[in-house]
Parts: sequence; structure tokens; C-alpha cells
Amino acid sequence: MSNQATLSLRKDWDGGVSPFGVSYGKLFMWFFLVSDALTFSSLLCAYGFMRHKFAGDWAKPNDVFTHFPFIHKDLPLAYVGFMTFDLIMSSVTMVLAVEAGHRLNRKQVAVWLFLTIIGGFIFVGSQCWEWYHFITGEESHQVFRDYWMNGKHIIDPHFQGANLIVNAYTQLPTFGDFFFCITGFHGFHVFSGVIINIVMLIMVLNGVMDRRGHYEMIEKAGLYWHFVDLVWVFVFTFFYLL
Amino acid sequence: MDFFEEYKGYPNYEKAAIHDEAHGKPVRKKLWMVFWIMLGITIVELIIGSQFNFTELNKEYTFIFLTLVKAFFIVWVFMHLGDERRAMKYAIIMPYTLFIFYLAFMVITEGVYSKVMRDALFTMVLH
Repeated sequence: MSNQATLSLRKDWDGGVSPFGVSYGKLFMWFFLVSDALTFSSLLCAYGFMRHKFAGDWAKPNDVFTHFPFIHKDLPLAYVGFMTFDLIMSSVTMVLAVEAGHRLNRKQVAVWLFLTIIGGFIFVGSQCWEWYHFITGEESHQVFRDYWMNGKHIIDPHFQGANLIVNAYTQLPTFGDFFFCITGFHGFHVFSGVIINIVMLIMVLNGVMDRRGHYEMIEKAGLYWHFVDLVWVFVFTFFYLL
Repeated sequence: MDFFEEYKGYPNYEKAAIHDEAHGKPVRKKLWMVFWIMLGITIVELIIGSQFNFTELNKEYTFIFLTLVKAFFIVWVFMHLGDERRAMKYAIIMPYTLFIFYLAFMVITEGVYSKVMRDALFTMVLH
């Protein structure tokens, strides 16, 4: 730390020192995250376009996402609130694992990483549950729908739930399409983040990081995990709150 | 400066962040404080989202502002971008921010225009 402070006193681009002052692995993790962030931003911008184009016809999230496990009452936003809390919490445990890695404390890194993995699994499971209820819908919210599917004209006065072609929440199929596309893409990121964390945990337990003499690999995995949290913050706002 | 001499001209950046127990304590305190701030912001968002009847525009701007605050905390504190050197900060933040704010501005302007055109065309067809 003191060395970095000394370095930052010099001008970054004067020559003689690396302007970025990070290892190449961390630098390219950042570059990957920027490109991934551009992908997500493009998807969210496309969503914003549709939302403004069909303003007024779009479904109100407070009427769609009202379920909570084991409680048969309408609780708008409660479950996504829990999911957000879970992801922020797992982000904190991850950053504590990184901090323990800076102290070369193998045991604490393993404990915090394990808690992060648990949080990740809870989030992925929650998303499965959310998707299940979004797709199947409920009998009290049946609507008349007239649509084409697999080359057949279907007239269904008791349609409920959602798929890629039609949904019960609004007349616009784009609502379901964007929900499945963006939350699915994000859920896939969470899942791969959990896999990366499991690999990191196995490496830590086998003492790979101790042999290297530093825990920077945990920091890189942590960058990815925080990025997943970052994307969820935006998905949460644009899909569930606005 | 042993920092430079360790690898003969190539500084060992992987070990730059290693610190001792005494230095770790305030770092952890800061992390937990950021967690509580973010939790508070999320709870405020949920209360606004489910309870209060703001006018729509006010609500939207409040949510987007609070989201940007949370995003700042994640990137700056949790991802440790605030601890990096200035060149690194700019290399990560500037291209992304400039491009995305421009893209969002263009796309949403176009979306609003599309609605105007759509409404106008439907009105013409119906009458």
C-alpha cells in the first residue's frame, strides 16, 4: 500500500513506471468487465427504447411481481427486495474474502468464499422460483388472448402466465421477451460466477494461493462477482421499480 | 525501494495490496459501512416503489439517482477502483460512461419519437 501511494505521486504517463500499476490479469479482467457492461447496457437501452415507445401499454411491475414463498398474499416487490439484499450481502462476503486474502489468511478466505457461494445459490434458486411464477401465472389473473403459435391460430379466453409469444400481463410480447432475455442473461452470469467461486474455493483449500504467495486470483473472481451485483442493481431498478 | 528491485525492473503488482492485521481493521469497517448504506438505499427504493404516490417523473429520477449512487459504491469501494491509479480509473470509467450516456440519450430520444409517430399513425388509420 505504501509503495502504491509513493507511485501515485508521480505522473502516470511520465514513463519509467507502468501507467496503470496493476498486474496484466487484473487489467484484462477489467477490460472484459467493461465489454460485458457494454453488452448489458445495450440490452437495457433497447429495453428503454421499447418502454418509451409503448409507454402506457407496458405492464406495471407492482401488479406482476407480487409473490412471496409460503405467504399467499399480494406483496409487491418483497421477493425481489430479498433477492437484492441477498446479492448485496454476498457481495460483502466476497469483498471480505478479498480483504482476508490481502492478509494471506487462508482460513478466513475459505469461510467468506463459502458464504459467497451460498448467497449465489440462494440468488439463482430465487430467480428460478421467480421465473416459475412468471411463466405459470395464477388462475385469478386469467385474460383473453388471441395469438399464433407453432403455425396455429389459438384463441384462449383463460390464458395465464407468460411465454415468448404472449403473456397475460400486457398485450405486448416484448415485455416477456425482455424479461426472459435480460434476467436470464444476468442469471447465467450469476451461475457462472458461482462456478468460478467454487473453483476458487477448491484452489484456496488446496493451498494453491499460498504457494503463489498472493491471493490476487480471489480479487479477480471478486471483480466478476461484484460486476454481477452491479448489473443486478440496474436490472432491479429498470425491471422491478420503474 | 524493494518494490522495484524484487523482480528486477518489473514490480510485483500482485503483492502490492498485501497488508497486515492492523491495516485490515479500518478497511473492513469501511466495507461494512458501505454495506449498511447500500442496504438503506435499497430499503428506501422499495418503500418508494411500493408505498408513496409521487408523480411518475419524480419517482423515475429518484430511482435512477439512487441506482447510480449504489453503482458508484460497488465500483469504487467493492471493486477497489478507488484505490487504483488515476490512469487506470480513467481508462475504465471514461470510455464506458461517454459511450453509454450517449447511447442511452439517443435510444430513449428515438423511443419517445417512435411513440409520437405510432400514436399519430394509429390516429390516422382509425379516423
